[in-house]
Amino acid sequence: MRKHVIAMVMVGGRGTRLENITKTTAKPAVPFGGKYKLIDFVLSNLSNSNIDTAGIITQYEPHELMSYIEHGSTWDLDVNQGGISFLTPYTTYNGDLWQKGTAHAIRQHFRYIDQHNPDYVLILSGDHIYKMDYNKMVDHHVKVGADVTIGAFQVQKDASRYGIIETDVNQRVLSFEEKPKNPKSSLASMGIYVFSKDVLKQLLDDEYGEHFDFGQDIIPLALARDKHVSVYRFNGYFRDVGTIDSLYKANMELLDNPQFLKLHEYVDFPIYTKSSNLPPHHIGKKCIVKNTMISDGCLILGDIYHSILSERIIVEDGALIRDSLLYPDVRIGEGSTITNAIVLEGTHVPPESRFEFAEPTVLDAERIAEGGASS
Amino acid sequence: MNNMLAIVDATFKDNLDQLTLHRMPGALPFAGKFRLIDFTLSNLRNSDITNVAIFPYGNYRSLQDHIGSGKRWDLDRRRDGLFILPPKNLYIVPGNMITFQRMYEHIEYFRRSNQEYALITAANIVWNIDFNDVLAEHLTVGADITEVMYENIRLKTFILSKKLLLDYILSYDSLEYRNVVELVEKAPNLRTHIYKHQGYTRTITDSFNYLKSNLDMLRFEIGKSIFKDDYPIFSKEKTAPPAKYLSNARIDNSMVSSGSIVDGTVINSVIGRDVTIRKGAIVKNSFVMANSFIEENAHLEYAILDKQTVIKEHTLVTGTLRRPYITQKEQIVTNQERQRILFVASESYPFIKTGGLADVIGALSRNLGRLGIDVTVIIPLYSKIKDSFQESLRREEGRSILYDNEYFFIRKYSYRYKKVKYYFIESHDFFDREDVYNYPDDVDRFAFFNKAVVDLLDDFEPFDLVHIHDWHTALLPLLIDNSKHQGLKTLLTIHNIDYQGVASADIIKKLGVTNFIFRDEYINMLEIGINTATKLSTVSPTYKEELKYEYYGKNLTYALLNRERDFYGILNGISSSLNPDTDKLIHTNYNRNNLELKAENKAYLQQTMGLAVRADTLVLGMVSRIVEQKGFDLILHSFDDLLNEHDVQFVFLGTGDASYTAELRNLERRHPDKIKLNIGYDATVPNYIYAGADAFLMPSRFEPCGLGQMIALKYGTLPIVRDTGGLADTVFKYDPITKKGNGFKFFNYDANELKHTIIEAIHIFREEPDVWTQLMKRAMKSDNSLKRSASRYIDLYRAIIEN
Repeated sequence: MRKHVIAMVMVGGRGTRLENITKTTAKPAVPFGGKYKLIDFVLSNLSNSNIDTAGIITQYEPHELMSYIEHGSTWDLDVNQGGISFLTPYTTYNGDLWQKGTAHAIRQHFRYIDQHNPDYVLILSGDHIYKMDYNKMVDHHVKVGADVTIGAFQVQKDASRYGIIETDVNQRVLSFEEKPKNPKSSLASMGIYVFSKDVLKQLLDDEYGEHFDFGQDIIPLALARDKHVSVYRFNGYFRDVGTIDSLYKANMELLDNPQFLKLHEYVDFPIYTKSSNLPPHHIGKKCIVKNTMISDGCLILGDIYHSILSERIIVEDGALIRDSLLYPDVRIGEGSTITNAIVLEGTHVPPESRFEFAEPTVLDAERIAEGGASS
Repeated sequence: MNNMLAIVDATFKDNLDQLTLHRMPGALPFAGKFRLIDFTLSNLRNSDITNVAIFPYGNYRSLQDHIGSGKRWDLDRRRDGLFILPPKNLYIVPGNMITFQRMYEHIEYFRRSNQEYALITAANIVWNIDFNDVLAEHLTVGADITEVMYENIRLKTFILSKKLLLDYILSYDSLEYRNVVELVEKAPNLRTHIYKHQGYTRTITDSFNYLKSNLDMLRFEIGKSIFKDDYPIFSKEKTAPPAKYLSNARIDNSMVSSGSIVDGTVINSVIGRDVTIRKGAIVKNSFVMANSFIEENAHLEYAILDKQTVIKEHTLVTGTLRRPYITQKEQIVTNQERQRILFVASESYPFIKTGGLADVIGALSRNLGRLGIDVTVIIPLYSKIKDSFQESLRREEGRSILYDNEYFFIRKYSYRYKKVKYYFIESHDFFDREDVYNYPDDVDRFAFFNKAVVDLLDDFEPFDLVHIHDWHTALLPLLIDNSKHQGLKTLLTIHNIDYQGVASADIIKKLGVTNFIFRDEYINMLEIGINTATKLSTVSPTYKEELKYEYYGKNLTYALLNRERDFYGILNGISSSLNPDTDKLIHTNYNRNNLELKAENKAYLQQTMGLAVRADTLVLGMVSRIVEQKGFDLILHSFDDLLNEHDVQFVFLGTGDASYTAELRNLERRHPDKIKLNIGYDATVPNYIYAGADAFLMPSRFEPCGLGQMIALKYGTLPIVRDTGGLADTVFKYDPITKKGNGFKFFNYDANELKHTIIEAIHIFREEPDVWTQLMKRAMKSDNSLKRSASRYIDLYRAIIEN
């Protein structure tokens, strides 16, 4: 059966600015909101959009992600025709095909697209936080008769961090600048695209340098060739959590502004995540737990304020946690105080230690070895 | 590769009342996000068992939905895997364990499986066990059957070779044991072994241990022994974000599941998924199931909230650990105002009585009044009531009632009796007669009564619910729906299904109902009530189940099956004045702590009856109407043998059918020194028998509720009963392995089974006096009080009114 739309999801990003958080895992596998991983959002969006065919393009530290996604059954993507395919770098007759840039990666795996021969290809990224029905964007693409459609959102500040788009009244893109010093507008690319398949093939077949990307190379080329490049404005909540600070903020928004992502209203548009057979968490006697989210399998004997806890965390007696993110399997020893930390998976904080930071700071075994600190 | 197949028994019945009205026990939520069957299925999975057959009973949709293909427990396999094997035979009423007969229905499953051993276990056990350890021990000791027990709890879990099991299944119709439990107890030639499981284990059979074991999970050492890292408990995957605590949350020793939002106080409680607890609300010692909503300043204690319950703001809901407050799915609990309940019946004690119905109406309404319910009772004013109560009744206004295109005059009389408001309807045309029933125009009389009551509703403050009883009042829901009181809720209680009020169809026209669809030239008034009442009930949980089978439910089986989800069973109770410690009629008062005084009552009974006064002879008592239903065929067919071979005395009190009476007299003549009949209720007082006998006989063919066994229990006289109806719900069979129980039961309506059960009782009585004493004490502790019965009705009223 021929597919109308298939998705290509980039999950190879290293996320260098996330420091040790992505030391051994790809950015899309970074925990979020207690029990999620970043990749859950794009896969849930696909599921909720009834798009059941997706190529997952991996590169950096793919193991954790691949074993997490498996056949995609968590997101109902384990269908008989289509479903999830992992597209890994491979070796050919012509030599190694290490992926160099997002567009380069798609070109390498174009055989996958040809195999399904869809009308439209959706290019997505595995590390964004948003709830989006992609059909609306594809519908827009079809309706305006575009060759390429860029998903875009309104930025509040730091517009120079994004690809900035200038459009005419008909949402047709006039110019596109990646990370401009002087942004011409506040309309930024989300880094997601709909391409008519044949247009995508044409554009990718061009001559490029060593390394080529959608934002840097393909979109400017499309504009230069006078292709119809349109914009689909997404008005929902959208975060690209590329830095420690933005990752921390997006997490805390779940507590402070639950109306943004509406995580607890999940009936119509659920975000699926793989569940891990844990009993509900247990909060012991006389603990204070306020403005906090706690996942399954935790045992809480200390006090927690304004924090998000992943699964299987133990907080021992008398520990005090404030304004922090705790990743799975963290153990906080008796009487320890943690403030403003992102405590990485499996970290054991020894008893009676103090890690109080002025700014969100990653706390892992390495950092603990440097000794308790307060600032 | 594992060499065991597993049979998961989900056929048994339970005492979980409304919690299992919509689901099987296996599908009950547990510890927030699990279902009971998750424990058994996960244990099977962790024991590498890959061939699992679940035998469900009743409504297994919810279970099916939960289990799916069994993937969660690695049971979606090419070879073997998960099988759900529903009943093929509609006539098997659930017992205490899956029968060989039930397995025989799916004999091909057993034949096709190639495992060498069979594990039988149940869907309602909370535990964590490796069945390989059981099999290893089974093989080491070389047993035929190994039973798994935890402390003194039998878990209905067994291992035996498949070959042996097949032998029993294939010969099920010639065996005297129906299931493995009975087999282990009775089969003398089997090498049985008991495997003692260590680690927390509970079988969930009633609302007390359901709440208790949920709260047990809050004790670390218990929780840890159930939820182990290396033996995980798997459950269906659900999508919910982590639980969230807002700024007013206060949590003390509680488990909270995903998706919940807590802004109130939670103490010692287990909270399911997606529960909202608002600011100021307090949840204490409770189990709250998924999607419930607890509004501001509501207060819960010892409550089990079924899914999607809403507790409105400022509502106080309290139960006790022994008797938790239980809501029904989707119930909206508001601040409890005084419920206004209207009883409509054909008779009520103390004004008029022809049978048990009058006792129930009188006692239940009085006890409801005591528990704070505003109760009004309406019955017809028969001549007999006029004769005895005329002066006390207050004459009220009259009214004309249109019936069959004619106006009939009625007048209302009122009387206040122990917090209950009674109204009597006078009608010279219909009720001014000598007797209550047995007139050719009975159907017209009671149809008219229904019409009069509906018209009279205009005069009363609105009621919250109308509780109607038997066919005499069964047209009320239909009439209410065709009146301006449409929407008023009704509960129809079936006390006696034998009388149904079959009438010619023009009764409906006489009542002025025009939109009725006739299927026949006759109507069945009880059936119309069953089809139209808001909810239905009968007088015991087991009888409720039995009525769904034609043997008991007769022509109304299918009408009742259609209302299965609205059908409840609530036991009647006995008056608190029936107490051996205070009963003025008996020879010597006694209680649980001076049981030796009961012996004086026994000696007195033996003496009065002219029987040999011997302490070590078992005295079997019976107080009963002499009718076929009460099991006299079994007595007449087995007592000659029994009395010839065993030392036992039989004292009977009752009256009734002439031919049975004659046969009983013949029996007495053959055993003059062992039987004493008192025919006719004047001969002696029943209390002598209840106090003086050692055991009390009720071998009924069917028994909707039964009061005799309740009185016997209260007096420490162990009931010997057939396992049916209310007898099944109040008498717990003596278990020779755990020494638990409060009486003796047999299942088949069979003279031989009766005889063997009496012989078993004689044996315990003579050989194990300490065990007998324990059983007596346990019997006397049973609570079958009217108060308990009335409070169950109050819960049901609440659930009906609030839904």
